[in-house]
Amino acid sequence: MNPSGQFAIVGLGLTKQGRNLGVAPRELRREALELALADAGATRAEIDGYIGTSSEMFDDIRYLGIGPKFAYTMQAGGASSILSLVNAMGAISTGLADLVACVYASAPTAGLLTRADGTRGGYGNFGYGYGRMYGLVGAAGAHALHARRHMHRFGMTSRHLGAVAVAQRDHASVRPGTVGFGQPITIDDHQASRLVVDPLRLLDCCRDTDGGVAVLVTTTERARDMKGRGIEILGVGCGHNLRNWWTGDAFDLHDDIAPAKATAFGQAGITVDDIDVASLYDPFTISVLMQLEAYGFCDVGDGGPFVESGATRIGGPIPTNTGGGQLSGFYTTGFTAITEGIWQLRGEGGATQVADAEIALISGHGGNVGVQNTWSHATMVLGVSR
Amino acid sequence: MTTPRLNPSDVMADELDLPFWRACAEERFLVHRCELCGRAYWPASCCVTHGAASMRWVEASGQGIVHTFTVYHHAYDRAFVDRLPYVIAVITLDEGPFFHSDIVDCDPSAVFVEMPVEVVYERLDDAWTIPHFRPRPD
Repeated sequence: MNPSGQFAIVGLGLTKQGRNLGVAPRELRREALELALADAGATRAEIDGYIGTSSEMFDDIRYLGIGPKFAYTMQAGGASSILSLVNAMGAISTGLADLVACVYASAPTAGLLTRADGTRGGYGNFGYGYGRMYGLVGAAGAHALHARRHMHRFGMTSRHLGAVAVAQRDHASVRPGTVGFGQPITIDDHQASRLVVDPLRLLDCCRDTDGGVAVLVTTTERARDMKGRGIEILGVGCGHNLRNWWTGDAFDLHDDIAPAKATAFGQAGITVDDIDVASLYDPFTISVLMQLEAYGFCDVGDGGPFVESGATRIGGPIPTNTGGGQLSGFYTTGFTAITEGIWQLRGEGGATQVADAEIALISGHGGNVGVQNTWSHATMVLGVSR
Repeated sequence: MTTPRLNPSDVMADELDLPFWRACAEERFLVHRCELCGRAYWPASCCVTHGAASMRWVEASGQGIVHTFTVYHHAYDRAFVDRLPYVIAVITLDEGPFFHSDIVDCDPSAVFVEMPVEVVYERLDDAWTIPHFRPRPD
């Protein structure tokens, strides 16, 4: 079956995002959910499905005051956000629910993040498995491994990575509410920032922030009767890097993007040329650069010069991470990209609004398990309601 | 102050890889191989073609080349502060599978992709010996 156009995002709720907010995750979830309900013009009682994507094993949803038919949490790292919407589509299409809340909230900077292994801390110092014995700790080190391969294979440079950081910071610098608001950086600032996990510098990495997001999914048919300006889900797809692990290509390919792209673009009936704005999951600069290549916005290996040319800026061929992304905006484990895509299609992008944006590409990836960059990749194509 | 080193049982909850670690104590390097097709894996695996029935731990060369690496200049875990800067590498073993380790006996700035490396063992205590990799002489 092709789900294209059958499901819509009818409500978006985003709390304040930032460092050291001092707000508990479940309070952030409540605030995000109430904002999403207000956005959709829906009531708490109408929510009949709940999918949590924070890293906690179970969300205590009593505090939310809802009474859904199902509630569960799921975890695929930065792919969780898109996959939670895919799960919502599945629940609705199988008659389990009509209005599903996909919810994220975390407060890692306050030390309030309880991780999958029961430890507390931020996202940046996860460690798993045997690699941890040697000091392979944190997502930055894992991403540096494929950044190194990309340099080796194609001659990518630190300045190429810096071009991603600078472009996205320029977007954030004119977007209120982001960590980079009012603070543009130059390529010299990037080059002067300290090496953390060579070849990645400090300004190649995003920072943990606290905050909550809620997205409400329903059928496009029902969305037409609701207050919220529905955004249609035109296509979804996924791929898993374990396929490339077996062939020895996992470090050469950012993720298993090819099948994710083929499925999502096929459902949506689009090609890469149809995309007006891209929101690519960006824990590190290398992620943006290699995804631009893998999705076909430029040739493989040409991502650096492509970004240096200004291609990802407003007015360029593919404005990318127009709110600053996670690198300079805020980090909500994949919901940052979804939020920006919704805003762009609603015309709410402010100073970095892409004119007449009708189709947005959203991506998410994650779950590196301490062995390489990432396992899961998810693609979503969003479109304005017709 | 030196932080105690992690051993394999600190980072892995089960004992499926224990034959590998026991062999390390004898300074032998094993891979997990499918006896039907000869394909080697690490750690304990299930052959993608033939399943688990014919998987055996067998002795390997302990040699490989650096597939990719990073140099840590920041300790995301305080336990590694004393070792900065240190090299984390993914090694393609001569038998085929990837192996994550560090590169020792070498200036971090001298490590390169495709550098030939060989195993060297560190005895942590009576129970545990772990492999590291160092540049292999030509």
